[in-house]
Amino acid sequence: MKYRPYIWVWSWLLAAVGVMALCASPVDAGSFNLQAAVDAAESGDTIQVPAGTYPGPLLINQSIELIAEPGTIIQGDGKGDVVQIHAPDVTLRGFTIRGTGKSLDRENAGITVLAPRVTIEDNVLEDVLFGIYLKKSHDSVIRNNKIGGKDIPIARRGDGIRLWYSPNSVIENNTVSNSRDVVIWFSNNTTIRDNTITHGRYGLHFMFCDDTVLIGNHLENNSVGAFLMYSRRLVLKDNRFIRNHGPSGYGVGLKEVDGVEAENNLFAGNRIGLYFDNSPASVDIVQHFTRNVVAYNDIGLAFMPSVERNIFTDNNLIENVEQVAVLGSGQLKNNQFAVDGRGNFWSDYNGFDLDGDGIGDISYKAQSLFENLMDREPKLRLFLFSPVQQAIELAAKAVPTFRPPVKITDEAPLMHPASVALSSGAEPPVWPTTTASLVLLLSASGLLMFGITGTLARPSATTSPIPMTPQPRKDQPEQTGKPILSAGCITKRFGRLTAVKDFDLDLRPGEAVALWGPNGAGKTTAMRCMLGLIRCKGSITINGFDVRKRPKHAKRCVGYVPQELAFYDDWRAKELLGFFAKIKRVDRDRVLAVLAEVGLTEHAAKRVGELSGGMKQRLALAAALLADPPVLMLDELTANLDAAARESFLGLLCKQRDAGKAILFTSHRLREIETLADRVLVMERGDVVTTCKPRKLAEVLGLKLSLRLWIDQDRLDDAVAQLRTDGFEADRNGQTVSVQVRPDEKGKPLAALSAAGIGVRDFEIDSNDNGSPNQRSKQGGTP
Amino acid sequence: MSLRTILIIARKELRDALRNRWFLFYTVAFSVLALAMAYLSLAGSGMQGLAGFGRTTAGLVNLVILLVPLMALSIAAPSLAGEQEQGTLAYLLAQPITRFEALIGKYLGLSASLTAALAIGFGICGLGIAANGDSAGVGVYITLVVMTFALGFAMLSVGILISTLTRKAAPAIGMAIVVWLCLTLLSDLGLMGSALAFKLRIQDLFGLALINPLQVFKMSVLYSMNASLDVLGPAGIYATQAYGRWLSALFIGSIIAWIIVPLVLASMTFSRKSIA
Repeated sequence: MKYRPYIWVWSWLLAAVGVMALCASPVDAGSFNLQAAVDAAESGDTIQVPAGTYPGPLLINQSIELIAEPGTIIQGDGKGDVVQIHAPDVTLRGFTIRGTGKSLDRENAGITVLAPRVTIEDNVLEDVLFGIYLKKSHDSVIRNNKIGGKDIPIARRGDGIRLWYSPNSVIENNTVSNSRDVVIWFSNNTTIRDNTITHGRYGLHFMFCDDTVLIGNHLENNSVGAFLMYSRRLVLKDNRFIRNHGPSGYGVGLKEVDGVEAENNLFAGNRIGLYFDNSPASVDIVQHFTRNVVAYNDIGLAFMPSVERNIFTDNNLIENVEQVAVLGSGQLKNNQFAVDGRGNFWSDYNGFDLDGDGIGDISYKAQSLFENLMDREPKLRLFLFSPVQQAIELAAKAVPTFRPPVKITDEAPLMHPASVALSSGAEPPVWPTTTASLVLLLSASGLLMFGITGTLARPSATTSPIPMTPQPRKDQPEQTGKPILSAGCITKRFGRLTAVKDFDLDLRPGEAVALWGPNGAGKTTAMRCMLGLIRCKGSITINGFDVRKRPKHAKRCVGYVPQELAFYDDWRAKELLGFFAKIKRVDRDRVLAVLAEVGLTEHAAKRVGELSGGMKQRLALAAALLADPPVLMLDELTANLDAAARESFLGLLCKQRDAGKAILFTSHRLREIETLADRVLVMERGDVVTTCKPRKLAEVLGLKLSLRLWIDQDRLDDAVAQLRTDGFEADRNGQTVSVQVRPDEKGKPLAALSAAGIGVRDFEIDSNDNGSPNQRSKQGGTP
Repeated sequence: MSLRTILIIARKELRDALRNRWFLFYTVAFSVLALAMAYLSLAGSGMQGLAGFGRTTAGLVNLVILLVPLMALSIAAPSLAGEQEQGTLAYLLAQPITRFEALIGKYLGLSASLTAALAIGFGICGLGIAANGDSAGVGVYITLVVMTFALGFAMLSVGILISTLTRKAAPAIGMAIVVWLCLTLLSDLGLMGSALAFKLRIQDLFGLALINPLQVFKMSVLYSMNASLDVLGPAGIYATQAYGRWLSALFIGSIIAWIIVPLVLASMTFSRKSIA
């Protein structure tokens, strides 16, 4: 029961549709012959054409009204026109018309009209060369049609609408796309209203059309919006000329027209918003441009230099790349940009309004050297938006002689845009910009957080593919195992200087080898070659890995302590070791372990820059020990340490050596070498001149120590004389005696003085002179 | 090559950059200038609800062309040279790390820091534009941002190359400023002069402009906004008609070449360099 009302509604609807169908379609669509029906009709008849596809061409020779049902198609045969109207007062309504020929010479059109007072409305024209072509068809109406051109290159297309000697016509509310032009020639008093014309060549092309009105049209993405030529008394109102961007690219081009009145139009995103060429053409004509918006064009207003007598007021010129251009050489004159104290709004106006009347207190002047250059040499537009543009403008402002002439002056520029009621355009949403900006800010935050805290690349447990734990040191003094570091014939030249020459070394686990030599002997260079920091000749393998071919594997077996401790000073000690732990792929727990091992646990949170030299040295050793490598390389290992710290540091290294690590170090302190080294390579000018045991070094080199003796004042001279007599180099040094001795004969001077009855109260070895290689060189000793 | 090691170096570099006062200065300067430019330029036009390429975008393009290469070059050029001067580079390279990993890690870290700085600037500027109710297309804005990142990466590559060619920070920065001046002003002035003096053909002028990554950046942004380069006059019209849809590929290819070629050269130089 509850469905009964719906059944009644449906029944009534079906009945109504049936009655309407019978009235509107007296003839069955399947058997309906359109051409025959048209031919049979008499003037004044109305023919309701049933839905269906009818073959073209259709010739209309009577003044009839043809009204199509929805779905009525006239299909051309791809040759010539589809519909030809030869009789006046014809109405053609509601058809879909398709399939013209492609001959531009014959001007094949969807609808060709050759008689006056024709009404063509509500039709759809598809795949047509020309759309609607009125030839000598005055007082006609083209309304609500939709015209789409053929999908062929624009130069081979026809015109969407063409009026030819067809005055007093009305073209309104049509949509034309993908045609060549909409041409209105020799047709005075035409009204063109509310049409949309897109993707053509000339949206509108006027010639010799006086008293024509353009209202509410939308011309977008054509090569030129409207090109109006040789016409008089034209009215442009409420039109939108947008993104017309071909080689000419005018929103509206005016060529030798007289009496244009333009109001409330939008010219936006065109190459040139409004182009003036000899318009007005007559000396007694003045043209008015009022309350238009000229925005975002490459050039807002472009004038040929001879253009005069145009008046601009209350227009908004917004964000045009070049607000005003004078194309070619010459000075623009006799155009007015302000009337009765009211000018235009210029978005680049830099003036002020002290009296608050809405009018700028200083004039707006379009004056730019770069724009002048561009106007004269268009190819220089390539440099638009480049810093060079600003540089040239700056030069023009700084040097008056560079300053170009003023193009136009607006004496009363508006401080705020004039109120213009534009026809509606879609307002793009703002939220995507907000979203994009928020995404950007979030991304930046993510990156910053990554930099500050970091979640990637956490250190993992040791993953070294090679066994690095060294074998414990054996007790025998001579190391006979397989070398863990081998260098063969390393040679490095810096220009003519040979820094290292044929350097050979085999370093075994548990062995400590010292490089000894004066400054510039090549010790550090040799070490850096072995680390792969300096390119050199020769072969270097560490734990079987070639330093140059497999540098990561080789360096993973080395802990390096450089001579100059260069760390990132603003990092904390623990943080720094954490960084190197990650690189060496060792567990973070090792950081605390090595800090404890070198005695820096309580300084772990200090910044590196706050640590003393000794602490830094320990930190470097800690970093070197992180991965428990089998080889340690130390360059001037105690360079930054005081005596106490030196002893402590040497103790640490001895432990490492005794644990089986191979140690290569450079030093110039005999004591360190004697304490730590098993062998000494003596270098001079890049060469290894000899190899010896540490205890033999002094002997081999003829090194001497300086011994200072405290003796009673009255026996000082006797002591010096006695020592000299016994063959020592001795001198009085203030209240002490200084005597040079070989390192293994330190007791001999004491014994000699004792034998001579001269008592020695105290003695010390001069810590600043304990047998350096430089001293040896100075003394001219030979190995 | 280990991606993990590269990321460790990159993170270290990013962290160093964030502690660098110049980096903070650049970030703030870029943000403030971009926002001010957007605000001032849009103040008078927002009410019209118009979209298109105007002086705001032109101003942003100019700001990017001037500031981003300077930022990128001046942070990249001293990156390796400065560490070499301090001795930290030698110490770093004595660790189990290849030179390529160090170079790429540094490059990525610098890229991340530059991206962060620019993202902050563009983010603030974008919010300013949106708050002003402007209708600048989000697509255009994103293109500008992405191309700016790409330009930054290209200039970082050049900066890294400079860094591998020098041993101290001061000469590296000096060389970077010379390169910046050449790219921003001198090459364009030279090209302008040549165009007038030698009556360069349009296609030659366009071809020569393609060599300069700053011009490529500018043209690619313009092209993305207008789907043509008509605004650049005859050379732009020629480019649009001659290359059509391939123009974007040409620009992207050119910028990518500016990223890759200097980086490859830098890698070659760095691999042969003695780190004393």
